[in-house]
Amino acid sequence: MNWISANKEAIGLWIGAICTLGLYSVLYKENKLYRLFEHIFLGLATGFGVAATWNEVLKPKWWEPIWVKGQWWWILTLVAGLLYYFIYSRKYNWLARAMIGFFLGVASGQSFQGFVNDLWPQIRTSFKPLIPHALIAKTADHPAIKAVTLPDAINNLIFMVTLLCVMSYFFFSFEQKHPVQKGMAKMGRWLMMFTFGAIFGSTIMARLALLIDRMDYLLNDFGPRIGGPVVMFGLLMALTVLLLVLVTAQKQQTDAETE
Amino acid sequence: MNILTLLQNLDRRWLYALLLLTVTVPFFLKIRLPVTVSPPTQKLYDKIESMPEGSFVLFGVDWGPGTRGENGAQTEVMMRHLMQRKIRFALLAFAPEPSVLCQNIAVKLQKEYNETHPEYGVQEGVTWVNWGYKVDQVNILKALVRDVPATVSADVHNHTIADLPVMKGIHSAKDISLILNVNPTASYQAYIQFVQGPYKIPMGLAPTAVMAPETYTYLDSGQLVGMLNGLQGAIEYEQLLGVIGRATVDSNSLSFAHLLIISLILLGNIAMLLERSQRARAGGAR
Repeated sequence: MNWISANKEAIGLWIGAICTLGLYSVLYKENKLYRLFEHIFLGLATGFGVAATWNEVLKPKWWEPIWVKGQWWWILTLVAGLLYYFIYSRKYNWLARAMIGFFLGVASGQSFQGFVNDLWPQIRTSFKPLIPHALIAKTADHPAIKAVTLPDAINNLIFMVTLLCVMSYFFFSFEQKHPVQKGMAKMGRWLMMFTFGAIFGSTIMARLALLIDRMDYLLNDFGPRIGGPVVMFGLLMALTVLLLVLVTAQKQQTDAETE
Repeated sequence: MNILTLLQNLDRRWLYALLLLTVTVPFFLKIRLPVTVSPPTQKLYDKIESMPEGSFVLFGVDWGPGTRGENGAQTEVMMRHLMQRKIRFALLAFAPEPSVLCQNIAVKLQKEYNETHPEYGVQEGVTWVNWGYKVDQVNILKALVRDVPATVSADVHNHTIADLPVMKGIHSAKDISLILNVNPTASYQAYIQFVQGPYKIPMGLAPTAVMAPETYTYLDSGQLVGMLNGLQGAIEYEQLLGVIGRATVDSNSLSFAHLLIISLILLGNIAMLLERSQRARAGGAR
Protein backbone atom coordinates (compact mmCIF):
# COMPACT_ATOMS: atom_id res chain seq x y z
CA MET A 1 0.00 0.00 0.00
CA ASN A 2 2.90 2.32 0.80
CA TRP A 3 4.33 1.76 -2.69
CA ILE A 4 0.95 2.66 -4.23
CA SER A 5 0.68 5.83 -2.11
CA ALA A 6 4.23 6.83 -2.98
CA ASN A 7 3.70 6.27 -6.72
CA LYS A 8 0.09 7.44 -6.99
CA GLU A 9 0.83 10.08 -9.61
CA ALA A 10 2.96 7.79 -11.78
CA ILE A 11 0.36 5.01 -11.64
CA GLY A 12 -2.34 7.48 -12.68
CA LEU A 13 -0.27 8.69 -15.64
CA TRP A 14 0.49 5.13 -16.82
CA ILE A 15 -3.18 4.09 -16.55
CA GLY A 16 -4.22 7.26 -18.41
CA ALA A 17 -1.74 6.62 -21.22
CA ILE A 18 -2.64 2.92 -21.60
CA CYS A 19 -6.37 3.74 -21.62
CA THR A 20 -5.87 6.52 -24.20
CA LEU A 21 -3.92 4.25 -26.56
CA GLY A 22 -6.36 1.40 -25.98
CA LEU A 23 -9.36 3.58 -26.87
CA TYR A 24 -7.65 5.04 -29.94
CA SER A 25 -6.94 1.49 -31.20
CA VAL A 26 -10.50 1.60 -32.61
CA LEU A 27 -9.14 3.87 -35.34
CA TYR A 28 -7.41 0.81 -36.82
CA LYS A 29 -10.47 -1.37 -36.48
CA GLU A 30 -13.02 -2.55 -33.93
CA ASN A 31 -11.18 -4.77 -31.42
CA LYS A 32 -11.49 -6.35 -27.99
CA LEU A 33 -8.93 -4.07 -26.38
CA TYR A 34 -10.99 -1.05 -27.36
CA ARG A 35 -14.17 -2.72 -26.03
CA LEU A 36 -12.43 -3.51 -22.74
CA PHE A 37 -11.36 0.10 -22.17
CA GLU A 38 -14.72 1.43 -23.30
CA HIS A 39 -16.47 -0.71 -20.69
CA ILE A 40 -13.96 0.23 -18.01
CA PHE A 41 -14.57 3.92 -18.77
CA LEU A 42 -18.35 3.55 -18.65
CA GLY A 43 -18.20 1.45 -15.48
CA LEU A 44 -15.91 3.92 -13.75
CA ALA A 45 -18.12 6.88 -14.72
CA THR A 46 -21.21 5.10 -13.41
CA GLY A 47 -19.50 3.99 -10.20
CA PHE A 48 -18.11 7.46 -9.61
CA GLY A 49 -21.56 8.97 -10.19
CA VAL A 50 -23.22 6.62 -7.70
CA ALA A 51 -20.53 7.22 -5.05
CA ALA A 52 -20.62 11.01 -5.53
CA THR A 53 -24.43 11.08 -5.36
CA TRP A 54 -24.38 9.12 -2.10
CA ASN A 55 -21.49 11.01 -0.48
CA GLU A 56 -22.37 14.54 -1.56
CA VAL A 57 -26.17 14.44 -1.80
CA LEU A 58 -28.02 11.50 -0.27
CA LYS A 59 -25.86 11.03 2.84
CA PRO A 60 -25.73 14.68 4.03
CA LYS A 61 -29.18 15.70 2.78
CA TRP A 62 -31.26 12.57 3.44
CA TRP A 63 -29.56 9.78 5.43
CA GLU A 64 -28.00 11.92 8.19
CA PRO A 65 -31.13 14.09 8.77
CA ILE A 66 -33.12 10.88 9.36
CA TRP A 67 -30.66 8.90 11.48
CA VAL A 68 -28.53 11.61 13.10
CA LYS A 69 -30.88 14.57 13.45
CA GLY A 70 -34.04 12.50 13.93
CA GLN A 71 -35.92 14.23 11.09
CA TRP A 72 -37.98 11.10 10.38
CA TRP A 73 -40.27 12.79 7.84
CA TRP A 74 -37.55 12.59 5.19
CA ILE A 75 -38.44 8.87 4.95
CA LEU A 76 -41.58 9.97 3.06
CA THR A 77 -39.40 10.88 0.07
CA LEU A 78 -38.33 7.22 -0.15
CA VAL A 79 -41.98 6.16 -0.07
CA ALA A 80 -42.77 8.63 -2.85
CA GLY A 81 -39.84 7.32 -4.88
CA LEU A 82 -40.88 3.70 -4.39
CA LEU A 83 -44.35 4.48 -5.74
CA TYR A 84 -42.76 4.72 -9.21
CA TYR A 85 -42.20 0.95 -9.12
CA PHE A 86 -45.97 0.33 -9.11
CA ILE A 87 -45.69 0.92 -12.86
CA TYR A 88 -45.07 -2.86 -13.00
CA SER A 89 -48.36 -3.66 -11.24
CA ARG A 90 -51.55 -3.78 -13.32
CA LYS A 91 -53.75 -3.25 -10.29
CA TYR A 92 -51.86 -0.41 -8.60
CA ASN A 93 -50.08 1.35 -11.46
CA TRP A 94 -52.29 4.39 -10.82
CA LEU A 95 -49.98 5.09 -7.85
CA ALA A 96 -47.02 5.41 -10.23
CA ARG A 97 -49.12 7.54 -12.60
CA ALA A 98 -50.02 9.86 -9.70
CA MET A 99 -46.32 10.46 -8.99
CA ILE A 100 -45.49 10.92 -12.67
CA GLY A 101 -48.43 13.34 -13.01
CA PHE A 102 -47.29 15.33 -9.99
CA PHE A 103 -43.75 15.78 -11.28
CA LEU A 104 -44.96 16.47 -14.83
CA GLY A 105 -47.03 19.30 -13.38
CA VAL A 106 -44.04 20.71 -11.51
CA ALA A 107 -41.85 20.46 -14.61
CA SER A 108 -44.53 22.10 -16.79
CA GLY A 109 -44.83 25.06 -14.44
CA GLN A 110 -41.07 25.51 -14.40
CA SER A 111 -40.87 25.18 -18.18
CA PHE A 112 -43.37 27.99 -18.63
CA GLN A 113 -41.35 30.29 -16.37
CA GLY A 114 -38.16 29.20 -18.12
CA PHE A 115 -39.66 29.76 -21.57
CA VAL A 116 -40.59 33.36 -20.76
CA ASN A 117 -37.17 34.21 -19.30
CA ASP A 118 -35.35 32.39 -22.07
CA LEU A 119 -37.13 33.49 -25.24
CA TRP A 120 -38.87 36.76 -24.46
CA PRO A 121 -35.65 38.86 -24.46
CA GLN A 122 -34.75 37.27 -27.81
CA ILE A 123 -38.14 38.11 -29.32
CA ARG A 124 -37.87 41.68 -28.03
CA THR A 125 -34.38 42.21 -29.47
CA SER A 126 -35.47 40.78 -32.84
CA PHE A 127 -37.01 44.17 -33.58
CA LYS A 128 -33.94 45.96 -34.82
CA PRO A 129 -33.54 49.46 -36.26
CA LEU A 130 -32.92 49.44 -40.01
CA ILE A 131 -32.32 53.17 -40.52
CA PRO A 132 -28.99 54.71 -39.39
CA HIS A 133 -29.31 57.52 -36.85
CA ALA A 134 -27.22 59.42 -34.30
CA LEU A 135 -27.45 58.98 -30.54
CA ILE A 136 -30.86 60.04 -29.21
CA ALA A 137 -30.46 61.65 -25.82
CA LYS A 138 -32.41 60.56 -22.77
CA THR A 139 -35.56 62.57 -22.04
CA ALA A 140 -38.31 62.36 -19.48
CA ASP A 141 -40.39 60.24 -21.86
CA HIS A 142 -37.81 57.73 -23.09
CA PRO A 143 -34.33 56.41 -22.22
CA ALA A 144 -31.27 57.16 -24.35
CA ILE A 145 -31.21 55.29 -27.67
CA LYS A 146 -27.75 54.35 -28.92
CA ALA A 147 -26.58 55.40 -32.37
CA VAL A 148 -27.05 53.10 -35.37
CA THR A 149 -24.23 53.32 -37.90
CA LEU A 150 -24.55 52.27 -41.54
CA PRO A 151 -22.72 48.92 -40.93
CA ASP A 152 -25.04 48.30 -37.94
CA ALA A 153 -28.07 48.96 -40.14
CA ILE A 154 -26.80 46.57 -42.84
CA ASN A 155 -26.10 43.94 -40.17
CA ASN A 156 -29.61 44.40 -38.78
CA LEU A 157 -31.09 44.10 -42.29
CA ILE A 158 -29.28 40.79 -42.83
CA PHE A 159 -30.60 39.64 -39.46
CA MET A 160 -34.20 40.60 -40.34
CA VAL A 161 -34.04 38.97 -43.80
CA THR A 162 -32.61 35.78 -42.26
CA LEU A 163 -35.25 35.72 -39.53
CA LEU A 164 -38.18 36.24 -41.90
CA CYS A 165 -36.92 33.79 -44.55
CA VAL A 166 -36.21 31.00 -42.05
CA MET A 167 -39.56 31.54 -40.33
CA SER A 168 -41.37 31.46 -43.66
CA TYR A 169 -39.77 28.06 -44.41
CA PHE A 170 -41.47 26.67 -41.29
CA PHE A 171 -44.87 28.19 -42.11
CA PHE A 172 -47.02 25.15 -42.85
CA SER A 173 -50.52 26.57 -42.23
CA PHE A 174 -51.25 26.87 -45.95
CA GLU A 175 -49.57 25.85 -49.18
CA GLN A 176 -46.94 28.33 -50.30
CA LYS A 177 -47.84 29.06 -53.94
CA HIS A 178 -46.88 32.70 -54.44
CA PRO A 179 -43.39 33.16 -55.99
CA VAL A 180 -42.39 35.56 -53.16
CA GLN A 181 -43.37 33.02 -50.50
CA LYS A 182 -41.61 30.23 -52.37
CA GLY A 183 -38.50 32.37 -52.85
CA MET A 184 -38.37 33.33 -49.17
CA ALA A 185 -38.78 29.72 -48.07
CA LYS A 186 -36.03 28.60 -50.46
CA MET A 187 -33.77 31.38 -49.22
CA GLY A 188 -34.59 30.31 -45.65
CA ARG A 189 -33.48 26.78 -46.45
CA TRP A 190 -30.18 28.06 -47.87
CA LEU A 191 -29.58 30.25 -44.84
CA MET A 192 -30.16 27.28 -42.55
CA MET A 193 -27.64 25.33 -44.62
CA PHE A 194 -25.05 28.03 -43.87
CA THR A 195 -25.86 27.64 -40.17
CA PHE A 196 -25.55 23.87 -40.33
CA GLY A 197 -22.22 24.35 -42.08
CA ALA A 198 -21.05 26.59 -39.22
CA ILE A 199 -22.23 24.02 -36.68
CA PHE A 200 -20.44 21.24 -38.58
CA GLY A 201 -17.24 23.30 -38.69
CA SER A 202 -17.52 23.96 -34.96
CA THR A 203 -18.06 20.25 -34.35
CA ILE A 204 -14.83 19.44 -36.17
CA MET A 205 -13.02 22.05 -34.07
CA ALA A 206 -14.47 20.53 -30.88
CA ARG A 207 -13.39 17.02 -31.82
CA LEU A 208 -9.92 18.23 -32.77
CA ALA A 209 -9.61 19.95 -29.40
CA LEU A 210 -10.33 16.64 -27.65
CA LEU A 211 -7.70 14.85 -29.76
CA ILE A 212 -5.16 17.62 -29.08
CA ASP A 213 -5.83 17.35 -25.34
CA ARG A 214 -5.09 13.62 -25.40
CA MET A 215 -1.91 14.14 -27.44
CA ASP A 216 -0.86 16.92 -25.05
CA TYR A 217 -1.38 14.44 -22.21
CA LEU A 218 0.62 11.67 -23.90
CA LEU A 219 3.50 13.94 -24.95
CA ASN A 220 3.80 16.44 -22.12
CA ASP A 221 2.25 14.75 -19.06
CA PHE A 222 3.05 11.08 -19.66
CA GLY A 223 6.05 11.61 -21.99
CA PRO A 224 8.53 12.58 -19.24
CA ARG A 225 7.86 9.20 -17.55
CA ILE A 226 9.39 7.31 -20.48
CA GLY A 227 12.23 9.63 -21.41
CA GLY A 228 10.54 12.81 -22.64
CA PRO A 229 8.01 14.05 -25.21
CA VAL A 230 10.31 13.16 -28.13
CA VAL A 231 10.48 9.50 -27.05
CA MET A 232 6.69 9.41 -26.73
CA PHE A 233 6.37 11.04 -30.16
CA GLY A 234 8.70 8.38 -31.60
CA LEU A 235 6.62 5.65 -29.97
CA LEU A 236 3.39 7.10 -31.40
CA MET A 237 4.89 7.32 -34.88
CA ALA A 238 6.22 3.76 -34.64
CA LEU A 239 2.75 2.52 -33.67
CA THR A 240 1.22 4.49 -36.55
CA VAL A 241 3.67 3.09 -39.10
CA LEU A 242 3.00 -0.44 -37.82
CA LEU A 243 -0.74 0.07 -38.23
CA LEU A 244 -0.31 1.50 -41.73
CA VAL A 245 1.81 -1.51 -42.72
CA LEU A 246 -0.99 -3.74 -41.44
CA VAL A 247 -3.59 -1.69 -43.37
CA THR A 248 -1.55 -1.94 -46.60
CA ALA A 249 -0.98 -5.70 -46.18
CA GLN A 250 -4.68 -6.21 -45.52
CA LYS A 251 -5.60 -4.24 -48.64
CA GLN A 252 -3.15 -6.15 -50.82
CA GLN A 253 -4.60 -9.43 -49.54
CA THR A 254 -8.14 -8.27 -50.28
CA ASP A 255 -7.14 -7.10 -53.79
CA ALA A 256 -5.43 -10.43 -54.48
CA GLU A 257 -8.52 -12.35 -53.31
CA THR A 258 -10.77 -10.19 -55.51
CA GLU A 259 -8.61 -10.79 -58.58
CA MET B 1 -4.21 3.70 -60.90
CA ASN B 2 -3.88 7.45 -61.42
CA ILE B 3 -3.59 10.04 -58.66
CA LEU B 4 -7.30 10.99 -58.82
CA THR B 5 -8.48 7.42 -58.31
CA LEU B 6 -5.92 6.99 -55.54
CA LEU B 7 -7.22 10.08 -53.72
CA GLN B 8 -10.82 8.92 -54.08
CA ASN B 9 -10.04 5.44 -52.74
CA LEU B 10 -7.53 6.39 -50.03
CA ASP B 11 -8.02 4.34 -46.88
CA ARG B 12 -9.33 6.59 -44.10
CA ARG B 13 -6.57 5.36 -41.76
CA TRP B 14 -3.95 7.18 -43.85
CA LEU B 15 -5.85 10.38 -43.09
CA TYR B 16 -5.90 9.52 -39.38
CA ALA B 17 -2.11 9.09 -39.49
CA LEU B 18 -1.72 12.42 -41.28
CA LEU B 19 -3.95 14.11 -38.66
CA LEU B 20 -1.94 12.56 -35.83
CA LEU B 21 1.25 13.89 -37.36
CA THR B 22 -0.29 17.35 -37.88
CA VAL B 23 -1.49 17.52 -34.29
CA THR B 24 1.66 16.23 -32.58
CA VAL B 25 4.48 17.92 -34.55
CA PRO B 26 3.40 21.51 -33.61
CA PHE B 27 4.07 20.71 -29.94
CA PHE B 28 7.77 20.78 -30.81
CA LEU B 29 7.65 24.03 -32.81
CA LYS B 30 8.84 27.25 -31.24
CA ILE B 31 6.70 29.51 -33.43
CA ARG B 32 3.37 30.91 -32.23
CA LEU B 33 0.75 31.51 -34.89
CA PRO B 34 -1.12 34.82 -34.49
CA VAL B 35 -4.42 34.76 -32.58
CA THR B 36 -7.22 37.24 -33.27
CA VAL B 37 -9.50 37.83 -30.30
CA SER B 38 -13.18 37.53 -31.19
CA PRO B 39 -15.74 40.06 -29.81
CA PRO B 40 -17.54 37.58 -27.46
CA THR B 41 -14.22 36.68 -25.76
CA GLN B 42 -13.21 40.33 -25.53
CA LYS B 43 -16.55 41.26 -23.95
CA LEU B 44 -16.27 38.60 -21.27
CA TYR B 45 -12.72 39.67 -20.49
CA ASP B 46 -13.77 43.33 -20.30
CA LYS B 47 -16.65 42.47 -17.98
CA ILE B 48 -14.40 40.68 -15.47
CA GLU B 49 -11.78 43.40 -15.85
CA SER B 50 -14.37 46.06 -14.95
CA MET B 51 -15.53 44.32 -11.76
CA PRO B 52 -14.31 45.73 -8.46
CA GLU B 53 -11.97 43.72 -6.26
CA GLY B 54 -13.84 41.47 -3.83
CA SER B 55 -16.90 41.03 -6.09
CA PHE B 56 -18.54 37.61 -5.95
CA VAL B 57 -18.89 35.28 -8.95
CA LEU B 58 -21.08 32.17 -9.12
CA PHE B 59 -18.90 29.82 -11.18
CA GLY B 60 -21.03 26.97 -12.55
CA VAL B 61 -18.95 24.03 -13.78
CA ASP B 62 -20.84 21.25 -15.51
CA TRP B 63 -18.28 19.40 -17.60
CA GLY B 64 -16.64 16.00 -17.31
CA PRO B 65 -13.51 14.21 -18.54
CA GLY B 66 -15.08 13.76 -22.01
CA THR B 67 -14.80 17.48 -22.81
CA ARG B 68 -11.72 18.30 -20.70
CA GLY B 69 -9.84 19.30 -23.86
CA GLU B 70 -12.08 22.35 -24.26
CA ASN B 71 -13.79 22.99 -20.94
CA GLY B 72 -10.69 22.32 -18.82
CA ALA B 73 -8.74 25.07 -20.57
CA GLN B 74 -11.71 27.47 -20.38
CA THR B 75 -12.18 26.87 -16.65
CA GLU B 76 -8.50 27.32 -15.93
CA VAL B 77 -8.11 30.58 -17.82
CA MET B 78 -11.21 32.19 -16.29
CA MET B 79 -10.14 31.09 -12.81
CA ARG B 80 -6.75 32.67 -13.46
CA HIS B 81 -8.39 35.96 -14.31
CA LEU B 82 -10.62 35.91 -11.21
CA MET B 83 -7.66 35.08 -8.96
CA GLN B 84 -5.51 37.80 -10.54
CA ARG B 85 -8.27 40.36 -10.12
CA LYS B 86 -8.87 39.24 -6.48
CA ILE B 87 -12.49 38.47 -7.28
CA ARG B 88 -14.13 35.89 -5.01
CA PHE B 89 -15.84 32.89 -6.61
CA ALA B 90 -17.82 29.80 -5.70
CA LEU B 91 -17.71 26.62 -7.78
CA LEU B 92 -21.02 24.85 -8.21
CA ALA B 93 -21.48 21.58 -10.14
CA PHE B 94 -24.60 19.77 -11.28
CA ALA B 95 -22.64 16.68 -12.34
CA PRO B 96 -20.44 14.53 -10.11
CA GLU B 97 -17.09 14.81 -11.94
CA PRO B 98 -16.59 18.60 -12.33
CA SER B 99 -16.66 19.17 -8.60
CA VAL B 100 -13.45 17.11 -8.29
CA LEU B 101 -11.87 18.18 -11.61
CA CYS B 102 -12.33 21.90 -10.91
CA GLN B 103 -11.22 21.58 -7.28
CA ASN B 104 -7.94 20.16 -8.66
CA ILE B 105 -7.57 23.06 -11.12
CA ALA B 106 -8.26 25.66 -8.42
CA VAL B 107 -5.82 24.03 -5.97
CA LYS B 108 -3.14 23.85 -8.69
CA LEU B 109 -3.57 27.55 -9.54
CA GLN B 110 -3.65 28.50 -5.84
CA LYS B 111 -0.32 26.72 -5.33
CA GLU B 112 1.15 28.38 -8.43
CA TYR B 113 0.02 31.89 -7.46
CA ASN B 114 1.08 31.52 -3.84
CA GLU B 115 4.59 30.76 -5.11
CA THR B 116 4.75 33.36 -7.90
CA HIS B 117 2.29 36.09 -6.80
CA PRO B 118 1.64 35.90 -3.06
CA GLU B 119 0.15 39.42 -3.27
CA TYR B 120 -3.01 37.93 -4.86
CA GLY B 121 -3.67 36.17 -1.55
CA VAL B 122 -5.41 33.21 -3.17
CA GLN B 123 -6.72 30.89 -0.46
CA GLU B 124 -9.52 28.36 -0.40
CA GLY B 125 -12.26 29.50 1.94
CA VAL B 126 -11.07 33.11 1.75
CA THR B 127 -11.03 33.97 -1.96
CA TRP B 128 -12.76 30.90 -3.38
CA VAL B 129 -14.92 28.01 -2.28
CA ASN B 130 -16.20 24.79 -3.82
CA TRP B 131 -19.88 24.27 -3.05
CA GLY B 132 -19.61 20.79 -4.58
CA TYR B 133 -22.01 18.60 -6.50
CA LYS B 134 -25.74 19.19 -6.26
CA VAL B 135 -28.66 17.43 -7.89
CA ASP B 136 -31.89 18.95 -9.26
CA GLN B 137 -30.40 21.97 -11.03
CA VAL B 138 -33.57 24.03 -11.46
CA ASN B 139 -34.79 23.80 -7.87
CA ILE B 140 -31.33 24.35 -6.39
CA LEU B 141 -30.87 27.48 -8.52
CA LYS B 142 -34.32 28.79 -7.60
CA ALA B 143 -33.62 28.27 -3.90
CA LEU B 144 -30.06 29.57 -4.15
CA VAL B 145 -31.03 32.98 -5.44
CA ARG B 146 -33.31 33.51 -2.43
CA ASP B 147 -31.07 32.16 0.32
CA VAL B 148 -27.53 30.99 -0.43
CA PRO B 149 -26.41 29.73 3.03
CA ALA B 150 -29.65 27.77 3.53
CA THR B 151 -29.40 26.11 0.10
CA VAL B 152 -25.68 25.33 0.13
CA SER B 153 -25.08 24.62 3.79
CA ALA B 154 -21.53 23.23 3.47
CA ASP B 155 -18.60 23.16 1.04
CA VAL B 156 -16.83 20.03 -0.25
CA HIS B 157 -14.80 19.78 2.96
CA ASN B 158 -18.01 19.93 5.01
CA HIS B 159 -17.23 23.40 6.38
CA THR B 160 -20.34 25.44 7.09
CA ILE B 161 -20.27 28.04 4.32
CA ALA B 162 -21.81 30.77 6.48
CA ASP B 163 -18.60 30.66 8.58
CA LEU B 164 -16.23 31.02 5.62
CA PRO B 165 -14.68 34.47 4.96
CA VAL B 166 -15.27 34.05 1.22
CA MET B 167 -19.04 34.05 1.85
CA LYS B 168 -19.05 37.28 3.85
CA GLY B 169 -21.98 39.41 2.72
CA ILE B 170 -23.31 36.79 0.28
CA HIS B 171 -26.91 36.01 1.11
CA SER B 172 -28.95 36.04 -2.10
CA ALA B 173 -28.92 36.74 -5.84
CA LYS B 174 -28.46 40.46 -5.36
CA ASP B 175 -25.00 39.80 -3.88
CA ILE B 176 -23.80 37.91 -6.96
CA SER B 177 -22.03 40.18 -9.45
CA LEU B 178 -21.56 37.71 -12.31
CA ILE B 179 -22.47 34.16 -13.30
CA LEU B 180 -19.94 32.10 -15.23
CA ASN B 181 -20.92 28.72 -16.61
CA VAL B 182 -18.59 26.24 -18.29
CA ASN B 183 -20.96 23.78 -19.87
CA PRO B 184 -20.82 21.29 -22.77
CA THR B 185 -24.62 20.80 -22.79
CA ALA B 186 -27.74 22.96 -23.06
CA SER B 187 -28.24 22.99 -19.28
CA TYR B 188 -26.70 26.48 -19.18
CA GLN B 189 -30.21 27.59 -20.12
CA ALA B 190 -31.35 26.88 -16.53
CA TYR B 191 -29.01 29.65 -15.34
CA ILE B 192 -30.51 32.03 -17.93
CA GLN B 193 -34.09 31.01 -17.16
CA PHE B 194 -33.99 31.02 -13.37
CA VAL B 195 -31.09 33.26 -12.32
CA GLN B 196 -29.87 35.61 -15.05
CA GLY B 197 -33.32 36.45 -16.45
CA PRO B 198 -35.37 37.07 -13.29
CA TYR B 199 -32.57 38.76 -11.29
CA LYS B 200 -30.77 40.55 -14.17
CA ILE B 201 -27.36 39.20 -13.17
CA PRO B 202 -24.76 39.42 -15.98
CA MET B 203 -23.73 36.01 -17.26
CA GLY B 204 -20.78 34.68 -19.26
CA LEU B 205 -20.74 31.27 -20.92
CA ALA B 206 -18.00 28.86 -21.97
CA PRO B 207 -19.59 26.15 -24.13
CA THR B 208 -17.86 23.55 -26.29
CA ALA B 209 -17.43 24.55 -29.92
CA VAL B 210 -20.28 22.18 -30.88
CA MET B 211 -22.69 24.13 -28.69
CA ALA B 212 -21.36 27.61 -29.45
CA PRO B 213 -23.32 28.42 -32.66
CA GLU B 214 -26.68 28.16 -30.92
CA THR B 215 -25.61 30.48 -28.10
CA TYR B 216 -25.05 33.50 -30.35
CA THR B 217 -28.74 34.42 -30.05
CA TYR B 218 -28.21 34.89 -26.30
CA LEU B 219 -25.28 37.19 -26.98
CA ASP B 220 -27.33 39.21 -29.44
CA SER B 221 -30.18 39.61 -26.95
CA GLY B 222 -27.81 40.67 -24.17
CA GLN B 223 -28.64 37.65 -21.98
CA LEU B 224 -24.96 36.75 -22.15
CA VAL B 225 -22.30 39.41 -21.70
CA GLY B 226 -19.65 37.30 -23.41
CA MET B 227 -18.64 33.81 -24.45
CA LEU B 228 -15.60 31.60 -24.92
CA ASN B 229 -16.07 29.45 -28.02
CA GLY B 230 -14.46 26.10 -27.21
CA LEU B 231 -10.68 25.74 -27.09
CA GLN B 232 -10.31 28.70 -29.47
CA GLY B 233 -12.06 30.92 -26.90
CA ALA B 234 -9.65 29.75 -24.19
CA ILE B 235 -6.67 30.48 -26.48
CA GLU B 236 -7.98 34.01 -27.13
CA TYR B 237 -8.57 34.59 -23.41
CA GLU B 238 -5.03 33.48 -22.54
CA GLN B 239 -3.81 35.92 -25.18
CA LEU B 240 -5.73 38.73 -23.44
CA LEU B 241 -4.43 37.71 -20.03
CA GLY B 242 -0.89 37.44 -21.37
CA VAL B 243 -0.33 33.94 -20.00
CA ILE B 244 0.96 30.86 -21.78
CA GLY B 245 -1.31 28.17 -20.42
CA ARG B 246 -2.53 24.85 -21.68
CA ALA B 247 -4.72 26.43 -24.39
CA THR B 248 -1.86 28.44 -25.88
CA VAL B 249 0.35 25.34 -25.94
CA ASP B 250 -2.41 23.57 -27.89
CA SER B 251 -3.12 26.50 -30.23
CA ASN B 252 -0.54 25.61 -32.91
CA SER B 253 -1.90 22.07 -33.16
CA LEU B 254 -5.43 23.41 -33.58
CA SER B 255 -4.41 25.84 -36.33
CA PHE B 256 -2.40 23.22 -38.25
CA ALA B 257 -5.20 20.66 -37.89
CA HIS B 258 -7.68 23.22 -39.31
CA LEU B 259 -5.36 23.82 -42.28
CA LEU B 260 -5.14 20.07 -42.88
CA ILE B 261 -8.91 19.58 -42.77
CA ILE B 262 -9.51 22.52 -45.15
CA SER B 263 -6.83 21.20 -47.53
CA LEU B 264 -8.31 17.70 -47.48
CA ILE B 265 -11.83 19.02 -48.16
CA LEU B 266 -10.54 21.04 -51.12
CA LEU B 267 -8.39 18.20 -52.42
CA GLY B 268 -11.19 15.65 -52.09
CA ASN B 269 -13.64 17.86 -53.95
CA ILE B 270 -11.19 18.77 -56.71
CA ALA B 271 -10.33 15.08 -57.18
CA MET B 272 -14.02 14.17 -57.32
CA LEU B 273 -14.82 16.89 -59.88
CA LEU B 274 -11.83 16.05 -62.09
CA GLU B 275 -12.63 12.34 -61.96
CA ARG B 276 -16.23 13.08 -62.92
CA SER B 277 -15.18 15.25 -65.88
CA GLN B 278 -12.68 12.55 -66.99
CA ARG B 279 -15.43 9.94 -66.83
CA ALA B 280 -17.81 12.20 -68.77
CA ARG B 281 -15.17 12.73 -71.47
CA ALA B 282 -14.47 9.00 -71.67
CA GLY B 283 -18.22 8.33 -71.93
CA GLY B 284 -18.54 10.91 -74.75
CA ALA B 285 -15.65 9.33 -76.69
CA ARG B 286 -17.31 5.93 -76.60
